[in-house]
Amino acid sequence: MPKDQFKTRLEIAKKKILKKNHHNKDDNPSSIGTAFKLSTELVAAVAVGTIIGFIFDQTFGTRPWFILIFFFVGVVAGITNVIRSAKNMQK
Amino acid sequence: MAANPMTQFNVYRIGPEIKVGAFDISFTNASLFMIISSVAILLIFNLGSKKSSLLPNKIQLLAELSYTFVSKMISDTAGSKAKPYFAFIFSLFMFVLFCNMFGMIPYTFTVTSHIIVTFVLAAFIFIGVTVIGFMKHGFGYLKLFVPSGVPAVLLPLIVVIEIISYLSRPVSLSVRLFANMMAGHTMMKVFGGFVISLGIVGGWLPLSFSVALTGLEILVAFLQAYVFAILTCIYLNDALNLHH
Repeated sequence: MPKDQFKTRLEIAKKKILKKNHHNKDDNPSSIGTAFKLSTELVAAVAVGTIIGFIFDQTFGTRPWFILIFFFVGVVAGITNVIRSAKNMQK
Repeated sequence: MAANPMTQFNVYRIGPEIKVGAFDISFTNASLFMIISSVAILLIFNLGSKKSSLLPNKIQLLAELSYTFVSKMISDTAGSKAKPYFAFIFSLFMFVLFCNMFGMIPYTFTVTSHIIVTFVLAAFIFIGVTVIGFMKHGFGYLKLFVPSGVPAVLLPLIVVIEIISYLSRPVSLSVRLFANMMAGHTMMKVFGGFVISLGIVGGWLPLSFSVALTGLEILVAFLQAYVFAILTCIYLNDALNLHH
């Protein structure tokens, strides 16, 4: 088989694969899977925020101010996480 | 008869005690079941890929189906750039799936119902993804924390929020798997206890619940492995294709 012919055939095959992958993005089978995501997403960010606040308080001796601030920042981060993953689901 | 529903999660030593410095690295039932699931995976995929016939037998079918499943999952969520990481995600998915599924067999130990196991897995993913991100984009990876189109006044707050949401990834990843597995197994044990204590007269209702729960738990065991793998893909996607 001549080399050029093989190359064009390779190109066509690659394009086909790309098209197929693009098509697959439309029907996402993971709806139940992503639904499980949301609950822990919210809690984890709050927990991480509070832990960071706790560490800051321990190092600077400013209890309870950093815990208070970072708790609420964590809540905001959790809500952002949930909104973001919900948006990803709708894509 | 163990009445306490939490005794199934006890980790105990098998064989002699091995200590390295202050660390106890003895062989436990958790290590035993990790080894069992790894060996099971290796066996299935060795047998499944030994001779690839055109008409596959059952083991080959199993191996090929799981291969295409994971490969499709990666190309759907992380795109073609994530192909080099197929081996990692595949082994991760298989390990979590087999640990969960071996836990469904009575008298076995569920490795993934311990947060330290899931957290170590999640921490490795987190560190790995961060390293990949920095390798691909250099310091440009830090742009992940600075969303575009934010007024400068709000920027310090937004960056802190983004950093917390980034750091919460391994926590949410590990807590989800651990909590689902532990809650499910505890519930099954509690309903099993009800069957015994209510006896032959009233035990039928909790028994039917137990049967239903077993089916649900098998679904959860699969689904949590799937979610674990798909979230790894999503994080990998964030690191590979930086656009925020």
